[in-house]
Amino acid sequence: MHVRSLLYFFGEALKSVIHHGWMSIASIAVVSITLLILGSFIVINYNVSLLTEDIKEQVQIVVYIDEEANVRTLRELQRALTDHPELEEVRFVSKEEAMERLKRQMGDRAFLLEGYEEEDKNPLRDSYELRTTVPEDIIRVAHTVQDYPGVGYVDYGSGVVEPLFQFTGVIRWIGLLFMAGLAITAVFLISHTIRLTVYIRRKEIMIMKYVGATDWFIRWPFIFEGLILGLMGAVVPLVIIFYSYQGATQWMSGNIYFISLLPVEEIMPQLLNLLLSLGVVLGVLGSAISVRKFLKV
Amino acid sequence: MTPGPSLLKATKVGCRMIEIYHLYKQYSRDVVALRDINLVIDRGEFAFIVGSSGAGKSTLLKLFLQEIKPSRGSIKIFGRDLSRLKSREVPYLRRNIGMVFQDFRLLEDRNVYENVSFSMRVTGVPIREIRKRVPLTLELVGLKDKAFKKPDELSGGEKQRICLARAIINRPAMVIADEPTGNLDPVTAMEILNLLHEINIRGTTVIVATHAQELVDRMKKRVIVLDQGRIISDQERGVYINAR
Ligand SMILES: Nc1ncnc2c1ncn2[C@@H]1O[C@H](COP(=O)(O)OP(=O)(O)O)[C@@H](O)[C@H]1O
Ligand SMILES: [Mg+2]
Repeated sequence: MHVRSLLYFFGEALKSVIHHGWMSIASIAVVSITLLILGSFIVINYNVSLLTEDIKEQVQIVVYIDEEANVRTLRELQRALTDHPELEEVRFVSKEEAMERLKRQMGDRAFLLEGYEEEDKNPLRDSYELRTTVPEDIIRVAHTVQDYPGVGYVDYGSGVVEPLFQFTGVIRWIGLLFMAGLAITAVFLISHTIRLTVYIRRKEIMIMKYVGATDWFIRWPFIFEGLILGLMGAVVPLVIIFYSYQGATQWMSGNIYFISLLPVEEIMPQLLNLLLSLGVVLGVLGSAISVRKFLKV
Repeated sequence: MTPGPSLLKATKVGCRMIEIYHLYKQYSRDVVALRDINLVIDRGEFAFIVGSSGAGKSTLLKLFLQEIKPSRGSIKIFGRDLSRLKSREVPYLRRNIGMVFQDFRLLEDRNVYENVSFSMRVTGVPIREIRKRVPLTLELVGLKDKAFKKPDELSGGEKQRICLARAIINRPAMVIADEPTGNLDPVTAMEILNLLHEINIRGTTVIVATHAQELVDRMKKRVIVLDQGRIISDQERGVYINAR
């Protein structure tokens, strides 16, 4: 494509964006809203997943050892656990260590534990603390480990872990569906604007065909128009997110110092790439639909 | 401007602009617009296609431009068989044919200069070339002083001159006019026909569809008479023959 033609297409597209002021603004607004919601969602998701990563890190399986098991069985159990491919960390906690921890946790009331400290009176059991490589695997792994020889019982915080994982899953799906709905609306509106342009310029298009303009020469300005609408729709939310996020991080660091947000410089580059490319995709998709359907060239 | 290489060669070498054999055009079961048309128009000719309204004149012209496809028969333009023309070659065919319409088909929001340069801009002609050729063409059609007027500030005859300028500015091998004088008074109509004649003298093949009997008779050119989709007469230096 010649630079000359490129300038022509861009000029024609820009003229038409300006010419249909309100339709253009409406299209840009919907793209902006879509991408603003998506962008905010991503920013929040980044920060929340940072937090939930912490929570997920803390979920673990505790395998209490069967007191009747003999030394050989115990050794087998240890090997089975350390060889398990899905386990990231396997830590032995003796009942003495467990007693120490309990004492620490009870603080001033640790005196209640007096008399249980001696070796043969300790009511606690030896255990293994396991961490899976993928936090979500914890439930399945816990069930397999249950059947290993020498295992008394297994605790993985059942009843707490399942809803947590379910909840994060559901949130993600709802978000995705919502975004998809908005994206479809944006594409629809852009295609509508382009369709209007095609309609307004039908005479010009007819003359272009008569004087021998190629089909692509006729199509390009409309594609460019969609592109401009999509890109402008991406720039608006980027600016909004940049300033409001910057404000938020500053406010948080001054007021809620125990939660730290990701710095704005770390979030923006990715967001910039994502929103700009999504703007381009929405814009081009919208115009492509109209060009195909209404531009009979 | 990059005309299809094969088309360009054909215009230079061949002497036949249009060759039509056993051409039929049927729009629907009851509407047969053209029946068994056989016609050869040579390079440099000036031909009228006449006939009453509904005779099939516009249909024939649309077939030349590949705007519609024939139901049967063959059309060759510049020696190229249109049935073998790929759809992406059609624009290059049209760059070699200038079209003039009864209703002018001008862009009302643009001035004369922009309307005329339009056909160059959308076919990728460099600005330098456009700046050079537009004034020359405007001078040829007598609109040199009206370059920056909008069409609605001009008379019917002047509008038709814009349309003509736009048709010839890409230097087509052939100009086709469909009822170019239909909206004009007799004097202005004669001026437009004289202009077409001048274009023809400069080497461009000109085909004019019309039902203006008096004007045709005065021009003493080739006259092809269509009646209900058939050619009923085709004479050099002919006159308009009424079918009934
Ligand atoms: N697009 C069309 N669809 C159906 N019938 C058509 C169409 N165009 C023209 N016709 C019919 O074909 C015949 C010839 O029309 P046309 O070529 O426009 O004649 P002319 O230009 O000589 O007045 C007429 O009967 C007309 O009604
Ligand atoms: Mg007609």
